[in-house]
Amino acid sequence: MAATAPVGGKTVTVRVNGTTYEREVEARRLLIHFLRDDLDLTGSHVGCDTGNCGACSVLYDGTLVKSCMLLAVQADGASIETVEGLAEGDELNDLQQAFGAHHALQCGYCTPGMLMSATALLREKPHPTEDEIRKGIQGNICRCTGYVNIVEAIKSVGA
Amino acid sequence: MLLPEVGYARPSTVDEAVHVLASHDGARPLAGGQTILNVMKSRAAAPDVLVDLQDLDELRGIELAADGTLVLGAMATYSEVIASAEARARPILGEVCAQIADVQVRNRGTVGGNICSNDPTNHLPPLLVALGTTMTIASSAGERTVPAEEFFVGVYATAAGPGELLTKISIPAGKGDGFAAVTIGKDGTCIVSAAASLDGDAPRVVVGCVHGVPVLVRPDGADEEAVRRAVRGANLEPPSDVHASADYRRHLAEVVAARAVQRARTRRS
Amino acid sequence: MTETTVAPPKPVVVEEGKPQKGWAGQNVPRKEDKRLLQGEGVFFDDIKRHEMGYVHFVRSPYAHARIKSVDVSKALELDGVYGTLTGDEVAILTDPFFELSVKPGADMKDYALAVGKVRFVGEPVAAVVAATRDLARDAAQLVEVDYEPLQPLVDARVAQSGGAPVLHEEAGSNVVWDGTFDWGDWEAAAAEADHVVKIKELHFDRFSSTPLECSGCLVEYNRGTGQWTMYCNHQMPGVGAIWMAPAMRVGIDKLRFVTQDIGGGFGNKICLHPYFVACCLLARKLNRAVQWTEWRTDQHTANAHGNERWFQDIEVAVKADGTLLGFKVKALDDCGAFPRYEPLGCIIWAQVTPGCYRWRHIRVGFTQVVTNKSPVSPNRGYSRMQHLWLTERIIDVVAHELGLDPVQVRKKNYVKHEEFPYETPNGCVYDSGDYARCLDIALDLVDYKKIEEKRVDAEARGKLFGIGIGSTLDSGTNNFGQSMILNPELQFSGNNEVATVKLDIFGEIVVTLGTVPQGQSHETTSAQVVSDILGCSPADVTVRAGHDTYWNSHAGFSGTYASQFAVTGLGAVKGATDMLAGEMKQLAAVVLGCAPDDIELADGTARMKANPEAALPFMALGAILNANNAGLPEDLNITLNCRYVYRPPFEKPDLERKYGNLTLTYATQIHACVVEVDPDTGVYEIVDYAAVDDCGKRIHPQIVEGQVHGATAQAIGAATHETFPYDEDGNLLTPNFYDYHVPHALDMPPMKTGYIESESPFTSLGAKGMGEGGGAGIHAVCAALQDALSSRGRPIVTDSCNPYHRVWSLLQDPAASRAGVEVVSR
Repeated sequence: MAATAPVGGKTVTVRVNGTTYEREVEARRLLIHFLRDDLDLTGSHVGCDTGNCGACSVLYDGTLVKSCMLLAVQADGASIETVEGLAEGDELNDLQQAFGAHHALQCGYCTPGMLMSATALLREKPHPTEDEIRKGIQGNICRCTGYVNIVEAIKSVGA
Repeated sequence: MLLPEVGYARPSTVDEAVHVLASHDGARPLAGGQTILNVMKSRAAAPDVLVDLQDLDELRGIELAADGTLVLGAMATYSEVIASAEARARPILGEVCAQIADVQVRNRGTVGGNICSNDPTNHLPPLLVALGTTMTIASSAGERTVPAEEFFVGVYATAAGPGELLTKISIPAGKGDGFAAVTIGKDGTCIVSAAASLDGDAPRVVVGCVHGVPVLVRPDGADEEAVRRAVRGANLEPPSDVHASADYRRHLAEVVAARAVQRARTRRS
Repeated sequence: MTETTVAPPKPVVVEEGKPQKGWAGQNVPRKEDKRLLQGEGVFFDDIKRHEMGYVHFVRSPYAHARIKSVDVSKALELDGVYGTLTGDEVAILTDPFFELSVKPGADMKDYALAVGKVRFVGEPVAAVVAATRDLARDAAQLVEVDYEPLQPLVDARVAQSGGAPVLHEEAGSNVVWDGTFDWGDWEAAAAEADHVVKIKELHFDRFSSTPLECSGCLVEYNRGTGQWTMYCNHQMPGVGAIWMAPAMRVGIDKLRFVTQDIGGGFGNKICLHPYFVACCLLARKLNRAVQWTEWRTDQHTANAHGNERWFQDIEVAVKADGTLLGFKVKALDDCGAFPRYEPLGCIIWAQVTPGCYRWRHIRVGFTQVVTNKSPVSPNRGYSRMQHLWLTERIIDVVAHELGLDPVQVRKKNYVKHEEFPYETPNGCVYDSGDYARCLDIALDLVDYKKIEEKRVDAEARGKLFGIGIGSTLDSGTNNFGQSMILNPELQFSGNNEVATVKLDIFGEIVVTLGTVPQGQSHETTSAQVVSDILGCSPADVTVRAGHDTYWNSHAGFSGTYASQFAVTGLGAVKGATDMLAGEMKQLAAVVLGCAPDDIELADGTARMKANPEAALPFMALGAILNANNAGLPEDLNITLNCRYVYRPPFEKPDLERKYGNLTLTYATQIHACVVEVDPDTGVYEIVDYAAVDDCGKRIHPQIVEGQVHGATAQAIGAATHETFPYDEDGNLLTPNFYDYHVPHALDMPPMKTGYIESESPFTSLGAKGMGEGGGAGIHAVCAALQDALSSRGRPIVTDSCNPYHRVWSLLQDPAASRAGVEVVSR
């Protein structure tokens, strides 16, 4: 049973946006802190401390999650997609362009998480209804836009 | 953010998991993590060891037995329940899971985690009591089963004690179920919830968020007045908090119980 | 560098209907978007420094307590802890922040950390710096503070009673400021009235816009120069420095604020100076860069709330035909434990004294008190929102009690289109607008003609149906002279903002703003204004992102607040660009051998009007002046680097009469809201919503619309669930987004928008500041609820925030809400 002896930290290997990182982390480190502070991938944000705001949303083995409710050690072996991986080089993808065209962002703080939620939604449902869009971004708080233009932007990509 | 120091174990079998849970005081299972990690962020709890259940494939399945019993592995996520063809045998499950928080939480949060945390605002404890669910709990001494009515023992406390692990949730066949809740905004924090099942001899109505554990009431009929009378008769003493006074909760309990039963009737017919 | 400060002596009237061609008015792509969409924005917490330390504050668990001792020794023993700071050190190293109020508020002592006493839950008592964030928090838990709990004061209404604990003994009173505002002749109005409607008490709840990014800074101290650099998200560094430098006993040049992207501000990032001073002291003490990140629970409990306000003993004078003559009220403002930006809220409301209405007799007794709650700071709609909620509540209560139609009462009493510019009873000048027309548009958008059919339909479904209107003004561009009405000793008046526009060596047009944007698209709209003047494309214009004190493109009131960028910020941009254009023409004239007037700027060139072939690309101009200037005439006194300070035309107000023009522009918002209430639960849903906005010339309609959406969403949140209530011990009951429910995507109703453009005659672009007008949503929701519940015992909505439990209470006991309402008729 030695394999299951509790450890205070461990070396984790995580693939983020196609790049593999290996880091020693404390067991208590949340995935979002790992991404931001250890890997310097600061696109994903922190907006709350209760798992409500969604600013830290990333795709985790293809599934949309809030990276503040996962430990970095849990992510050992996982493949993660963040906002930094959306554009093709310097070319914004369709969703990003739609956010710009529809003025779906103001301060831009919720935007990375919002884009990841929309990405997950559109992969699952390429032509979502307005209600499906709103359900899809229900876990992401935006305090600037009232969601109006975010919904419009996502709708335009799925049209 | 910024959790207290904690140990981490990642067993690959239930046996290993219960062993590590038993051998460390203050060890807690880490299922979806959608509750416990938030509690740790506030440092309201500081378990010594988190036992990560993610590799326990034996806790993952959703199976429909020949007799119609639906068996959910404790690690089944809400999203998996929503998507599962088997789980549609008891459609209320997927429907209620779809009302829990948001996509991200549903993708990670597990049925077992929801009921083991037994936060009174959670939807699944009252629902599973209403459905006549049986919980299977493993420990180094073997397995035991506990009916849902006895599983919930207090706020944040269940029959799964130290060194034990909830493994399976067995839900008997049926379909005459209903659920209603008043939440803050759409799918926000729950103020009062109620689940109802009309499949047995008499309606089972369970009110959530009014007590440390779900409150089962057995109205003598399925009409609104009977349900409301039964809830009144339960002499609920719900908590007062920022979202609702005790009086308001008591009132809502009657309303949502009647609505849950009404929905169950509609579904059954 | 050339600097000119030009302000017209009196409001300049811009000719109506002047042609507006070009980039301004178009929805050009936002310059900010690309980096933000790629996760390449730079927010303060993204910045790291070698060997930096992380700050964690030890915070008070008590609302009111004496600090008997603070022992940091166990924290210092922990490996990886770099050092600590306590209130005792702060009291030695700094002076209290200066207070804006006269006595008693003037005597309230406010430091970076609690000194001697704590006055609200979450107040910082000590700070710990460690090698990691986690360690800093671990160590903070080891700091031992011995408290002697004192009785907390949580209800402003008893703050002046004999038994109330006094928060600030030095002041000897919980009153920060009080005074009476008396305009017109209230007694005469009451005598002339056919009805006097009395309302005992209304309550505007505490809430805040809770920007998604919390506050923080990374502070570096340069030992050689004695200067601090704060990479931060302070939204008003000019004023932040005015607070910090004297307290830290240093010159203002020692403080450098740097921002780039800020994750929303809404006023909540104005009062960060206590935290920043603590970080500055730590950076110096430890000779190390230190970084403080505020987390959500800290933000809710101990940063800044919006002002809570009680309105008591309201009396309204009304003629039989519904003409409103005036009102009187006692306003009691609860500013939490320390005044900080206060008592400015005691005057800011006066910018909109009569709301949208023509009544002329208004008496307001205004008192502000401290309580053992989080301090406040300006929150989107600051102080006007509370007052406009009062005026809108008055309209709807009067209509309700006298059996009048709220639409007709509004139309009858609105300031009329032909009356603009309209001078209010207290000397403010409403510049332009057409409130009745905006209301008609809003009503059309919610299909008001069919409203009774909809009511019948809803009732058939068992729902209570209501419609409500909110009419507000977004007053923009403060005259800081209004502060002197509160305290004649203050040396603040007028307003200013800076922009610097230069043509660089390779022909780049580079704009530096003094403002501190947090999502308001300053880079984009500035580029529109610049490109129109210089005859190029917005894409050719680089606008530096954020703010940096070292750019020297700021002035005393620089910042982003109070709905003013379109006037002050763009006014400065226009001024600087006009100057640059003049210099470019001068240079081109020299090179091309003609007069400057013969030159036009077009297509990225300076060319002769008569002979467009004779053209110098911008690159040539930049290169000639910067790098190839031999032979240029000695008297060619240009820099192609033009700094302009925009200064709006203000006079100091008449302090005796509390009279004068307090703001330059007034944008209008008229909202209409339709609700359906479940009578069994009090749960309600907004089923239709219209927001009509008039902010004069819209530089970028899409951005304006975005502000309308966002402000409305915040108002809907504030009207429905967003409130900061405290228990009797002074604990905040909604300290996070779990209990403080902000609207999510599924909570927002379908939103319809409309607009008109009544150009301001007082601004160079005809634009008005906007963005803070969302308060209309609070009023509209309250009015709609009151309408919906009317058939159930005619309750009065007395609170600004109405969560389901409050609606249920109104349904259960409508008489209780009516007890304070009385109509005295002649």
